[in-house]
Amino acid sequence: MNLLESQNKIKLCRRCILPETFPGIRFDHRGICNHCRREETALKKAPEKKAQYRERLDELISSVKDRGPVYDTIIAYSGGKDSSYTLRLLNDRYNVRILALTFDNHFVSTRSWENIKAVTDATGADHIAVRPPWPIIKKLFSLTAEKDIFSTPTLLRASTICTACIGIVKSVVLRTALEMSIPLVAFGWSPGQAPIQSAIMKTNGALIRRNQAALRKAFPPEIRESIARYFIPERYYEACKDRFPHNIHPLAFFDYEEKQIKHQLDKLGWRAPDDTDTNSTNCLLNAFANQCHLERHGFHPYVWEVANLVRQGIMQREEGIENIYSGQDQKMVEYAKERLGLCTRQRTG
Amino acid sequence: MHETKDRIRAFIVENFLFGKDDELKDDSSFLDEGIIDSTGILELVSFLEEEFSISVEDEELVPENLDCIQNVVAYLGRKL
Repeated sequence: MNLLESQNKIKLCRRCILPETFPGIRFDHRGICNHCRREETALKKAPEKKAQYRERLDELISSVKDRGPVYDTIIAYSGGKDSSYTLRLLNDRYNVRILALTFDNHFVSTRSWENIKAVTDATGADHIAVRPPWPIIKKLFSLTAEKDIFSTPTLLRASTICTACIGIVKSVVLRTALEMSIPLVAFGWSPGQAPIQSAIMKTNGALIRRNQAALRKAFPPEIRESIARYFIPERYYEACKDRFPHNIHPLAFFDYEEKQIKHQLDKLGWRAPDDTDTNSTNCLLNAFANQCHLERHGFHPYVWEVANLVRQGIMQREEGIENIYSGQDQKMVEYAKERLGLCTRQRTG
Repeated sequence: MHETKDRIRAFIVENFLFGKDDELKDDSSFLDEGIIDSTGILELVSFLEEEFSISVEDEELVPENLDCIQNVVAYLGRKL
């Protein structure tokens, strides 16, 4: 029985789709969760706030465009739908000089690589990839598949595997921005992934240094040394102190409509992959990451994002339930386990 | 000042600790202890701006101002 079949046994918020297994959730007498109630005021103010942020981004880009040596912005580019659309937005609306960086975690789908080529060709963006050696990646994902290494608040929003991967992605992208004096770092977070109030942020050395130290410390000692080179070198904090960029994730405050996004991407030659799970448009590890999280925590690692999308009216509740409570594609789960060498160990464990 | 601290604590507990405040001390580092990440810091900033009618400048986004309850309280004391 998958989760969709068993959902009648799991109490869900009647407005969004957060389950009773979500840490700290409370339901009122109408079956509405505390997160929906808390967001009511913010949702009313959202249109005004989005307009303010669009204006802020317009001003920010005007102030940095064509000032840096080679690029105006670097984008963390997975080849998935959201980062592709962000790349297109930056190109079409702002005509900035873009460097797209893909972190090749060895699980990027074949279709995604084709999409990366198509979109960067169509937008005129330069593209680079950072591909750590497989032994490092295998160890990283094997360890994070077997135990949680991050704090509970972090794991509300993503699985341990995804958080580890994204932590390194953010670090590599920032490091590259510092090295190349790129003033903007763009991400394709959906409006459900990160709140609007964090959508434009001037980074600074002190905050990043503390954040990086906490991230590094979270990794188990057996992997910490081998991934050290993907973090910001200590000397950069002084050498690059005037070059810390702005982080931006524009999809938090631009119109976000699935059909429209796919229509626009279709014009660039982007095609929806048929080799990934329903919550990812680029990663072949995602289903396994989700399954690990579900087994350990009792809720889906994408449920926070999808609940936000439902609450904001971007996704229909039924579609959200389908995405989250349908169970993982077992072929994809087995594929990832086999590549990570976890099949035998888990069967006998 | 106590009221200010209580409001900040309540925000952290409600938004990042799911109602459990047993281990949250006034000097617990949000970043070191994984209570808030750099994105979460901005959620805190947004709360401070709206709740206390202040404007947090880019150069004020440093751990000395925002990385634990007592730092936030001291920062607000200087701003208000």
